[in-house]
Amino acid sequence: MNDLGFLKEMERKTGENISACYQCYRCTNGCPALPEMDFSPHRLIRYVILGEREKALTSKMIWSCLQCTTCSVRCPNDIDIALVIDTLRKIAVKEGKAKDMDTWTFDKYFLDSVKKHGRLYEMETILKYKMAKKNFFEDTKMGMNMMLKGRMGLFPHNIKDKRGMKALFEKARGE
Amino acid sequence: MAATLAYYPGCSLKSSSKFYEASIQKIFGRYGITLKEIEDWSCCGASAGHTIDERLGHALAARNLALAEKAEYDLFAPCSACYNRAKVTNEMIRSDSALQAEMNRAIEPLQTSAAIEVKNIIEVLDDYVGVEVLAKDRKYDLSALKVVPYYGCVLTRMMRVKPYDDKENPESMDRLLFAAGLEVLRWPFKMECCGASKTLTNKDMTLRLSNRIMDMAITLGADAIITPCPLCQMNLDLLPALGRTKESLPVLFLSEVFELALYGKMLGTSSHMIGADKILIKVREA
Repeated sequence: MNDLGFLKEMERKTGENISACYQCYRCTNGCPALPEMDFSPHRLIRYVILGEREKALTSKMIWSCLQCTTCSVRCPNDIDIALVIDTLRKIAVKEGKAKDMDTWTFDKYFLDSVKKHGRLYEMETILKYKMAKKNFFEDTKMGMNMMLKGRMGLFPHNIKDKRGMKALFEKARGE
Repeated sequence: MAATLAYYPGCSLKSSSKFYEASIQKIFGRYGITLKEIEDWSCCGASAGHTIDERLGHALAARNLALAEKAEYDLFAPCSACYNRAKVTNEMIRSDSALQAEMNRAIEPLQTSAAIEVKNIIEVLDDYVGVEVLAKDRKYDLSALKVVPYYGCVLTRMMRVKPYDDKENPESMDRLLFAAGLEVLRWPFKMECCGASKTLTNKDMTLRLSNRIMDMAITLGADAIITPCPLCQMNLDLLPALGRTKESLPVLFLSEVFELALYGKMLGTSSHMIGADKILIKVREA
């Protein structure tokens, strides 16, 4: 069943004039993530317009997106397609419909680390992500190479105003 | 021209790309540009910030902007992701007073009114040194080196904010490289995505995308790839570790090119995963 309020919902949440799309395919033609997608960016925009809410929210493609914004800057109708995708991700996670949680999980650990230390603690973030994924040894060679070159730190980077940082997270997110 | 800037290193320049920081300090120091590291700066949130929560992304950037504003200097962010986040938030809170008030509540007692400007490394070299000085000052002949300028995604691709250079065909770094005396090749991948932060969540995707960029540079006969972005440098430099078996070209930071032009060597040679020796032997005394 098509959700006829979906277009309005998305236009309100993104502030973008999504209905201006005339399916020129420029977004799709420039997309570097296309081989990883289950359907293309111009089709996603069409689904939003037609109210195909489930297809958009349960797609893999919104998670393959690299947020390089090539589609957005090339859109002749000035639609920020990358923002539409970023917004769909948030709705998909909220409603438990996300098809691929890897990007979200990693980004969450990334922000947890920033909330705790003020700056990214690379080692902790990567290890937490690896443990969640249970593929602890997959990238050990890469990590060792980086460490040997002095390009991976072992220690956290703590700021002084950790309390202010925690408050910032709480206030910005309404936690 | 002497100048002082508020310096926002970002997480990369303090861990994976320390040699970029050393290189920038060396070049900027020579031209009288003083960098005052922002007191107690914090992470800008990169792409994770706005993906998880748009407002949080702005608040993280606003905190650092407020700290730079307090010091009354324009903010210099060498990392492209940090630069993008800082610039976008700065311009948005400048034009949207409701957003500005909301961000100021989040970062209390700090306050920002977007009174300063945000600059990347290309802009700083352009504004405070200039191509004429850079061209006249060079001590080593780099004309045997062919390079491709690799800007990366986020330096100029901005939607609601006017970028400092063209969104799809920037030329500012081309001019700086030309001033350094290198042969700058035309190529179609100035802005092609390297795979960004997918390196950890989808390694094959970064391998595929970074491989294409490396292959294109090799096909065109380049000796090196030059970039201002630490994430682009990292992904391309990691190619052999990600599984690339074919030949790979060294990937240099923009400031390292000026190290070569001025001193004939780079402080960070040993930090490169893909050895830079092949290009160092092409550097001649002028």
